[in-house]
Amino acid sequence: MEQEVDGILVAAHELKAPLAVLRQLAFALPEMDSSGEHTRSEMINVSERAIKQVNDLAKIRRLDDGLFEMEPVAVREVCDAVSHELRYLFDQHEKGLIIKYSNHAKLVTANRDLLYSVIYNFLVNAIHYSKAESQAELTVRDSAGQVKITIRDYGPSLPISIWRELKQGWIKQPTSIAMRPGSSGLGLFIASRFARYMNASVGAIRHRDGTSFYVNLPISKQASLFDYDIRS
Amino acid sequence: MIFVVDDDKIMRKCIARACGKGTELLEFGDAISVMDAIATGKIPNLILLDILLDGPDGFTLLNELVSYPDTAQIPIVIVTSLDLPIQDLSIYGVVGILKKDTMTPQEIHSYVQQYAP
Repeated sequence: MEQEVDGILVAAHELKAPLAVLRQLAFALPEMDSSGEHTRSEMINVSERAIKQVNDLAKIRRLDDGLFEMEPVAVREVCDAVSHELRYLFDQHEKGLIIKYSNHAKLVTANRDLLYSVIYNFLVNAIHYSKAESQAELTVRDSAGQVKITIRDYGPSLPISIWRELKQGWIKQPTSIAMRPGSSGLGLFIASRFARYMNASVGAIRHRDGTSFYVNLPISKQASLFDYDIRS
Repeated sequence: MIFVVDDDKIMRKCIARACGKGTELLEFGDAISVMDAIATGKIPNLILLDILLDGPDGFTLLNELVSYPDTAQIPIVIVTSLDLPIQDLSIYGVVGILKKDTMTPQEIHSYVQQYAP
């Protein structure tokens, strides 16, 4: 019970941050002239990200009901869609995103919405933790009968306690990440829960100049048939 | 001169805007760059400081500042979403605490007028 309350507190704190920013932007709006449009778009972007986090938390509650169907998902299409949505945020923070695809398997077995959220949360983490003017990397490649999506950032390394928890497969509660503050780990918590639901595995590699987060997804059998048809 | 320290760029801009025009102001996203700036001789009249920062946090910076004679007396306003008691922080030169979810630009500006007019 105590752990659950801690988790709720951390999640509440994380969601309070974008709301506080929105409030300050709203105060600034009447003083705006030419920069008013920029502020308005910042307000929309910040609120949309907060709404997405709330929606993801609501989805976690519904995972037990098994409402999210597993289906063949085109992995590059999802990566393209997420990176396209977050491109403005990378630009806004003066950080870059490099995308590298080398996977031959086109389809994975997943739920598209949940996979979208996993990649989204990893990329938002990368934006937050990458050093100024650095470039995060999103790579997709085949890996031992699976497709591996990796998001690499260049900033402070992930605390070893969180790395250990991820090594066990998933994060049970959102926890405060002391060395990587600003995010309480809510994104990692969400991503690991969604991955677990999809029978995918998530993990992290600690580098001395940053962290790589990855998710391994099973290749869809329909993908094999599709590839076979193309070749023949 | 005022230092605004917050790792959230948008929040930092909002705080800087509330300080008002005509005030010399430097923005920082982390504690290390604050100490680097101070090491080059830039001593602010007021610091508006977030606590949860990338790398060393605001408490670490408070400890650093209070340990040097030239920075020990700098008035500091904590701008945070945490619940912090000001009594415990006054020994670090903290003159006020603004809660991010309830503060107004006028409150920020009044600290500026008081400590860095």
